[in-house]
Amino acid sequence: MSKEKPVAGIPRIKLGNHTFYYQYEPSLLDALETQEIQAPYSCRAGYCGSCKVRLLEGEVSYTDEGMVDLQADEILTCICIPATHIEIELPDD
Amino acid sequence: MAYTTFNANQFDSTKEPMFFGQNVNVARYDKQKYPIFEKLIEKQLSFFWRPEEVDLASDRKDFIDMPEHEKHIFLSNLKYQTLLDSVQGRSPNVAFLPIVSIPELETWLETWAFSETVHSRSYTHIIRNIVNDPSVIFDEIVTNPEIIKRAQSVTKLYDELIHLVCVQNVHGYGVHNIDGIKYDCTLWNLKCKVYLTMVSVNVLEAIRFYVSFACSFAFAERAIMEGNAKIIKLIARDEALHLTGTQSILNTLASGVDDAEFKEVAVACRDEAIALFAEAAEQEKEWASYLFREGSMIGLNAQILSDYVEYITNVRLKAVGFEELFPVRPNPLPWMNSWLSSDNVQVAPQESEISSYLVGQIDSSLEDGDFDDFDF
Repeated sequence: MSKEKPVAGIPRIKLGNHTFYYQYEPSLLDALETQEIQAPYSCRAGYCGSCKVRLLEGEVSYTDEGMVDLQADEILTCICIPATHIEIELPDD
Repeated sequence: MAYTTFNANQFDSTKEPMFFGQNVNVARYDKQKYPIFEKLIEKQLSFFWRPEEVDLASDRKDFIDMPEHEKHIFLSNLKYQTLLDSVQGRSPNVAFLPIVSIPELETWLETWAFSETVHSRSYTHIIRNIVNDPSVIFDEIVTNPEIIKRAQSVTKLYDELIHLVCVQNVHGYGVHNIDGIKYDCTLWNLKCKVYLTMVSVNVLEAIRFYVSFACSFAFAERAIMEGNAKIIKLIARDEALHLTGTQSILNTLASGVDDAEFKEVAVACRDEAIALFAEAAEQEKEWASYLFREGSMIGLNAQILSDYVEYITNVRLKAVGFEELFPVRPNPLPWMNSWLSSDNVQVAPQESEISSYLVGQIDSSLEDGDFDDFDF
């Protein structure tokens, strides 16, 4: 369990030059799609690993258990939501 | 050591490697070396479905109305899928069960292969619905040279591993000459074979299957053969899980945390492993031109499908830590994702199990500070 207290107010999501508010979508992936950002995905259930992105800043909390091996700074957008203000980076391709 | 169905030795299975340790004795899951396999099993069980749940009545009409070249595409693709699942329904059990050493992996292998048998049964369901005599289609799977060529590639490593393990069971570790044939049953060579077989399985599930899914979904994108696509969607949901399993096994083996020697095996077999991906990509492209030799269909042709082969091969290579073989490109079939996402499998709750709903999953862990912010 994370010891860090969630930020007061609505979490902000930063991706490159684009910053927007999290609108309580069911997942970070949905939040990105609301902004019409083409984020990678496939299974949308935490087991295929297609939606892996890098978390540069902040923390997320998981809504389901993932089944994919992740590096320390990688998150699965389809099964997590922002817990604090976050900054992420999509993979190159 | 010869295989035993119940190993009488007393040992801690969490200290065993995934393969070539002690034979498993008690099928216990209270202590697990790799909880990922337990998660995969649970997910797979929650995915359980039967082909008969899907109504194929309108597919029959769609099939009859199809032009000949589209019938060729549809049937060839279905035959190929039938071949792949025939192999997968038995081979993980026959090849890996005799050498596996941890109970949760053993059970995952069985759960995995079982789900493939459901896929095989669904092809019979589909074929029965679209033709009067299913034998015409099934019989051709073993006579069509294009399919036979693929069958040889997908089964070669499985068969070699199975033969070596059989010889090792009788004659022990070492190099054996039997009737003039040399069998290298050294532990090193057996480990190489396991690693490469697992790569070949990953190629089968993660590339070959996905190319065939693209064809199935391309029909449904035009609102025909939709019952078939519903079944393939359920199959694709299972396959995504299986390939997560094989990728995880490959990454664990290559990291050396499970068995230090496997790290060297992975390095030694690297070129051969990448060649398996390259060979499959080449074959799938040839297959694409065979499928569309009599004409393309709206939304899909040999070129687009070949582009997809390159795209998906790159994705799969990266997932197991290899360099991409083809130029990086965006997904040429973006509509595939909506068919591959599992939360779009629409079912009424009273009709079937909801995969996301787990029974008995209460978080009962309590820490000292959990009630600190309570006001009484």
